[in-house]
Amino acid sequence: MQKSKKIVILGHFGVGKTSLIRRFVKNSFSDKYKVTIGVHISKKVVGFGSGETISMILWDLEGTDDIRMIRNPYLLGTHGAFFVFDVNRPSTFQNIQEDLAVLSKKMPEVPLLIIGNKVDLVNQDDLNILLKENDISFDFLTSAKTGEWVEDAFLQMATLLKDA
Amino acid sequence: MLERYKQQYIGKNIQFVFVDHDGTVRESDQTIFHFHTGSPIAEVHPFFETLSFLEGIQENELSFNCVHLEVGDNEHIVDIRIVGQEAGLLMVIIDHTQYYQEYQTVAQARNESIIKAELIVLKNKELEERERFKNRFIQNFSHELRNPLTGIVSITNILSATHLNVQQQQLLDFLKEANTDLKSMLEDILSISMMASGKLTLKEKAFKLSNLLELLEFTYGNKAKNKGLQFLVDTDERLPEFVEGDRLRLYQVLTNLLENAIKYTESGTVSLTVDVNQKRANKVSLHFEVSDTGMGISPENHELVFESFSRLDRYDNKGGVGIGLSIVKGLLELMGSQIKMESRLGKGTRLYFDLVLKYPLHSIAKSLIKTEGNIVENTVSKRDKKYRLLLVEDDERVQMALFKILADTEHFYIELTNDGARVIEEVINNDYDLILMDVNLPNASGDHLTNIIRELPFDKVCDVPIIGITANAFDEDIKRYLRAGMNQVITKPFEAHKLLEAVFKYLRQ
Ligand SMILES: Nc1nc2c(ncn2[C@@H]2O[C@H](COP(=O)(O)OP(=O)(O)OP(=O)(O)O)[C@@H](O)[C@H]2O)c(=O)[nH]1
Ligand SMILES: [Mg+2]
Repeated sequence: MQKSKKIVILGHFGVGKTSLIRRFVKNSFSDKYKVTIGVHISKKVVGFGSGETISMILWDLEGTDDIRMIRNPYLLGTHGAFFVFDVNRPSTFQNIQEDLAVLSKKMPEVPLLIIGNKVDLVNQDDLNILLKENDISFDFLTSAKTGEWVEDAFLQMATLLKDA
Repeated sequence: MLERYKQQYIGKNIQFVFVDHDGTVRESDQTIFHFHTGSPIAEVHPFFETLSFLEGIQENELSFNCVHLEVGDNEHIVDIRIVGQEAGLLMVIIDHTQYYQEYQTVAQARNESIIKAELIVLKNKELEERERFKNRFIQNFSHELRNPLTGIVSITNILSATHLNVQQQQLLDFLKEANTDLKSMLEDILSISMMASGKLTLKEKAFKLSNLLELLEFTYGNKAKNKGLQFLVDTDERLPEFVEGDRLRLYQVLTNLLENAIKYTESGTVSLTVDVNQKRANKVSLHFEVSDTGMGISPENHELVFESFSRLDRYDNKGGVGIGLSIVKGLLELMGSQIKMESRLGKGTRLYFDLVLKYPLHSIAKSLIKTEGNIVENTVSKRDKKYRLLLVEDDERVQMALFKILADTEHFYIELTNDGARVIEEVINNDYDLILMDVNLPNASGDHLTNIIRELPFDKVCDVPIIGITANAFDEDIKRYLRAGMNQVITKPFEAHKLLEAVFKYLRQ
């Protein structure tokens, strides 16, 4: 039987949550910013070498600069979560430690991957220094625009959830 | 009747769906979306695919607000309320598309403006950072350039003391002039970048205003004369003897103004006027003005001349990087003043400013008058250091004699000038360790020059040891030279070891 897994994508507004999903699901990108309100839900079925598949139900949530304001029902029954920040805007990762603490309280034991997005806009060396200086850990540095590391991030999540 | 209205209003916006425990749609009123009864609700939209956790929420109610649902071509933004029942789940779907679309517009505007503001701040930071980097670079670079330039200047001077034919001498004079220009350009660029990075601070101290004006009169009197111009200095009798301020920066302001005035005037007069506006308590407001009968500046360029690196006529081959007036503007702002200009094309230019300075009471001023400094006794011992020495002497035979005695010790870089009028400029532009000066020079007297040097507004420069050389063996003359600020006076003819003894006595180890 195909497993359905609910994955929420969280982070400040404008960091590229919708764009990452669009890149992963439809392999497309738009420069235009349309603010997400509430939630958009989309789905992608991912297959593994074993022939196994899982259905990733991606909850693209309205961005907020205060993670505590997320409506709790949105998070109910979540299997996995992404926290996305914009490498270009320090305000989206300055309080990442607090934000992550809030999330793990709201969703204990849910695997969480951290994504720094929009790497196409910055110099990789400067970025490494910036992240190190601010003591920011991350799982993937992606660009929804160029597509780099986007699929890898989602597939990593799928792998994590496959056996859970 | 109310019921009917109610039906009209909410009837179209609310859908009721009943789903059994297996997730199969049992009943739907199809008001907003069409749900196939008998089919799994998970097939309708992925939203419903993740509701398995809701099993057994019996009697409980859950709300999901602002959910985007598309079923076929049918797209709505809805609130979904799910109520646990014995036989399954009751879902109440309420269409708020219009309301949420309005909210979206508001959120769009808000988010965009917040992000924009954030990026502007970041951009500014980046620009500031780049500006800082640029200034730091310019500062380091101009410092670095000074060393090779000093080498070039020294060698030029050494060369000029050797036997040269007329043509070689001429070429060397060009080289010297180019060196001086290069040096002052470097200083200007340095000042302006220090100002831009806020590193330039004023050092306020009491100083003798009349000395500063005398120095300007001397230097620019000569420059004007060389160009066939008249130079007038007019000062108010009520000028206080001492004022408190940054004399180096005031000097820089006035030299830049005078430099420009002379540069852009081909005939007529350049004048410097200093008036007292008013004197109150221990403050005095002074009016400085530099005017010329030069080419003038057309009105549309009045603002432009105060910007750095924008010379009016880029092809006027007058030399300089055209930052003089922007330095003046910046320095005066730092001093709380403002440069003003009146100019008519072809008639001339008047640049002026008012400056408020404190002036100390007489008793304080007295204590400022220099007392003899401590001089360390030194002999012609072995030293590793090489010293920079300025030789001011017009008699060629004496020049060669002095040059030979000094050069043989291999302790000196020697620079030579035989022109009294150039001495001050050389002294300002170089950090000499000592000056050997003939008292009788063609266009200036050694004691007068010494006097001016002692009052120069540069700390390091005004303390330079000066040894006078004279054929006047009269006591009263020698006393006068010492009073003017010479450290020692040697009489001609002199012996080599006497000269060296005197020289080394005043050199710091
Ligand atoms: N250059 C670049 N731009 C990106 C990237 N990802 C997203 N963007 C742009 O960033 C803006 C915001 O992207 P969205 O995907 O709408 O951001 P969001 O996180 O969904 O924003 P909210 O819905 O308001 O929370 C859009 O203009 C995108 O085109 C990226 O990797 N590189
Ligand atoms: Mg979005």
